[in-house]
Amino acid sequence: MATETVSILKTILRIPWHVLFVAGVLVIVGSLALYSASEGSWTPWAGRHAVRGGVGAAMMLVLAFIDFRIMRIWAYPVYLMSVVVLIVLLGIGSGGSVARWITIGSFTFQPSEPTKIAVVLALARYFDSQPLEKMRSILTYLPPLVIIAVPFILIVEQPDLGTALALALGSLTVLFVAGLPWRYILVSIIGLAAAAPVMWSQLYPYQKARVMTFLNPESDKLGAGYQITQSKIALGSGGLFGKGFLMGSQSQLNYLPEKQTDFVFTMIGEEFGLVGNMFILGLYLLLIGGVLAISFRVGSRFAQLTCVGVAMMLFLYVFVNVAMVTGLLPVVGAPLPLISYGGTAMLTVFLGLGVVTSAVVHDRPEQD
Amino acid sequence: MSKKVKQKETRRVTGRRTFLLGSGMLLVTSFLSGRLYQLQVAQNNRYKRLSDRNQFDHRVVPPRRGRLVDREMRLLAGNAESYLLHITPLYAGDVDKALAQLASLIDLNEDVIAQVLEKARKGPSFRPILIRESLTQRELSRLAIRSAYLPGVTFEKSLRRIYPQGALTGHVTGYVSPLTSREIEQDRSLGELPDLATGKIGVEYALEPELRGLPGAERVEVNARGRPIRVFRDFEPESGGDVRLALDIGLQQHVTEILRRGKSDPVDMSAPEVQRAIAGNRELKQHLASGENMLLRDEIGKITPPESGAVVVIDITNGEILSMVSSPTYDPNIFTDRLLTRDWRRLNEHPRNPLLNRVTAGLYAPGSTFKMVVALAALEAGIITEGTRHFCNGSMELGNATFHCWLEDGHGTVNVVSALERSCDVYFYEVALKTGIQRIKDMANRLGLGDVTGIDIPGEKQGIIPNHEWKLATHGVVWTPGETVVASIGQGYVLTTPLQLAVMTARLASGTKAVTPSLRAVAGEPEFAPLNISPVALRIVRKGMFKVMHGSLGTARAHNLPTGLGGMAGKTGTVQVKRITKEQREAGITKNIERPWKERDHALFVGYAPVQNPRYAVAVVVEHGGSGSSMAAPIAKATLQRVLEIRDRA
Repeated sequence: MATETVSILKTILRIPWHVLFVAGVLVIVGSLALYSASEGSWTPWAGRHAVRGGVGAAMMLVLAFIDFRIMRIWAYPVYLMSVVVLIVLLGIGSGGSVARWITIGSFTFQPSEPTKIAVVLALARYFDSQPLEKMRSILTYLPPLVIIAVPFILIVEQPDLGTALALALGSLTVLFVAGLPWRYILVSIIGLAAAAPVMWSQLYPYQKARVMTFLNPESDKLGAGYQITQSKIALGSGGLFGKGFLMGSQSQLNYLPEKQTDFVFTMIGEEFGLVGNMFILGLYLLLIGGVLAISFRVGSRFAQLTCVGVAMMLFLYVFVNVAMVTGLLPVVGAPLPLISYGGTAMLTVFLGLGVVTSAVVHDRPEQD
Repeated sequence: MSKKVKQKETRRVTGRRTFLLGSGMLLVTSFLSGRLYQLQVAQNNRYKRLSDRNQFDHRVVPPRRGRLVDREMRLLAGNAESYLLHITPLYAGDVDKALAQLASLIDLNEDVIAQVLEKARKGPSFRPILIRESLTQRELSRLAIRSAYLPGVTFEKSLRRIYPQGALTGHVTGYVSPLTSREIEQDRSLGELPDLATGKIGVEYALEPELRGLPGAERVEVNARGRPIRVFRDFEPESGGDVRLALDIGLQQHVTEILRRGKSDPVDMSAPEVQRAIAGNRELKQHLASGENMLLRDEIGKITPPESGAVVVIDITNGEILSMVSSPTYDPNIFTDRLLTRDWRRLNEHPRNPLLNRVTAGLYAPGSTFKMVVALAALEAGIITEGTRHFCNGSMELGNATFHCWLEDGHGTVNVVSALERSCDVYFYEVALKTGIQRIKDMANRLGLGDVTGIDIPGEKQGIIPNHEWKLATHGVVWTPGETVVASIGQGYVLTTPLQLAVMTARLASGTKAVTPSLRAVAGEPEFAPLNISPVALRIVRKGMFKVMHGSLGTARAHNLPTGLGGMAGKTGTVQVKRITKEQREAGITKNIERPWKERDHALFVGYAPVQNPRYAVAVVVEHGGSGSSMAAPIAKATLQRVLEIRDRA
């Protein structure tokens, strides 16, 4: 009994509270932004966003109490389960319509997002059990490519190229950190560049249109380029300090589309200027840096690789979203994690942070 | 040893690569920051200009709602132009001053000014604030002349729903009112149309999808002072469809009048004696407060409100509802603007519930009008024939209970025809006991009782036609023969709506078709389901209904149609609401009119005309109106007479 109390106390003390704190600040910032997006109202977005943030944080704390070794055991089964879900989804969606969402009660949910975490866990589990002397052999890196390729293809088929690419890039990072020799990296980059024209021909027309619009947004001011143009005007007119809370005319007058989801960063930029945007980016750096720092502290290779994978997934979310709203990437429909309205991305981020928390809480120090 | 070295080596590689990755992230983030700096600081002036000149205001254009017209294309629900006045603080500058200036030109009360100022303080300055709706022509022209001196003040045209017939068709049209948050929750796309009004009840609700139309989209180019310069229509709104109802407004007007008057005469409202009566009577005051403009003087000289009840007229050949009156009623126009709580309270506190559509949702025991159902069930099952006789001595014993006939001394020997003619209760008690409640229920259902008719009015009531199973399910005890006896004269558990009674009558009169009512005008002859009731049985029952009007002892013989119009057939009903108490009997109160209004009997009548080739069916219910023969029958007669005259003219 006494030891149990001690272990609970120990668990609580070892939780990386600074990471949770930064995540909490981001959720609050998100709620305020959504409050402004609905013209100064807690409905329909801001209130629910805050509640979801609370639920996410609670879930993260629950995960902290699950022994990380159990996660190691469950890494493969969880991965297989998410692949099955993706296959089922594809089955439902066949016949022309696209099925990316599962509806449970009043909650719609996009399974391809948490799949990212499952893939990271599976890869970390894989490298954890590989004999170290094999790390320089190319054969060691073939099974992981399969682990990545299966969900990647399934998500491309949905079709959701943006999420698939983010998943591929994030999980390839795990291979990189695990020690993939440089020569293979160089060869694959050259190979990808050569294959680009072939891949272009495989894209759906709407995906091609997005890329073309991105290359020349002014060509289609009221169509697909409208969003990028309006986003740039809103951001640019914000200036250094912004127009003030609730005073963003572009956002409030509904020139800016999707301001509660994908373009929330733009709205913050219009109302709080460069200072506001840099504050947000700073918070993300703190969050991601915190997770990376944990990767240096943990003992097991499984924990280490998991942390890096989660950090990369987080970073990709932020990068893709900010690059998109500033016109550096095509409009792919990527949320800003913890700030955009939408449950799936929030859930995925807290899931990832929960796994990291479990790693740091239950990790045994490195044995010499 | 070598394993440990290897482990250290791998860890070093991973650490190095993680560090490299972290640096890469920092680099990419600085690159993004550079891009933000470029947009927000370096090019700030350019985008600021673009933002100010972002001159297109995207707006959703609400569609024009479909109109409702009567059978002669007279307007029942239409749209009137109305002008809305807005102020945009950003362009107005000093809102206080602008409002003071406006108050000198148009009617603006203190509360409105305070509200607008409050909104201007709280909200962003670029959002227009609504000052007034429905500006008058005079106000509009005054504003137009001075518009150059009123920066930031704009007016725009919108459409307001109007009901030219007002209270006369209130229960038919229902009304539209501004969107509720619940409707927006159910259909998110409605959130884009803040000015849309949707049907909340009546035909406006039932035909909402057809009447609403599709919204359009437009872009408004505004100048730096917020004045619209040009409008680009991206898509035109699509107007809702107009709907022609079967209703005849002239008939509706006439029927309303005769129902409200009943047997009494309207009084001169300005007479001092009438004013005295009003002053001392809370109920009369409530009636007048909610818009009533007529009072009656009843048989014993008391000042009373107009009669309450329902009248429906159906064309038997195609089911068209020519008139549908529910009294008291309300004016739907008061709902289209923001409803004043005062008006709402008055409607709600009105002692006779004017918001209840008595035709479709008023439940009444059918009384003796139910006897046709019993007669048809017994005749069709072969339990009686036209020759079957019973002796009525004024009551019937069953077990240790006694069931009385309304005629204390009895009707003597009667058969089914004379029992209908004179409305003998005992005859139907005896016949119903032999027929059984299930057969009676089946016949009632086939005639349209006990189920909704499905006309385009929401909230229609089903009513109750009981049987063994119903009793067991709702009361948990078995059905008793005594209850069959009570049901045979349309009392006890039996409940129907006036509309159902009219449908029953139309089917009886048609003889072959299961007539279904329609509020919409019907083109051609609709295909009704076959009725499949024995023609012999129907002929006998119709003979009884004929005798009610034409027989020497018929209960409504005093109220037949003039011979030139082909005569009518029908059946009276008088439904006891409350027994006369021993105290009342001892005090000598046995006449209906001497009792409190709420305790008086309901008066019913159903009928059709002409007798040969029936064309119109009518059902009349007068709440607490006394006897069916003296109160409801004359209303039915006057109604049918007017329908036949109108038809002759047409």
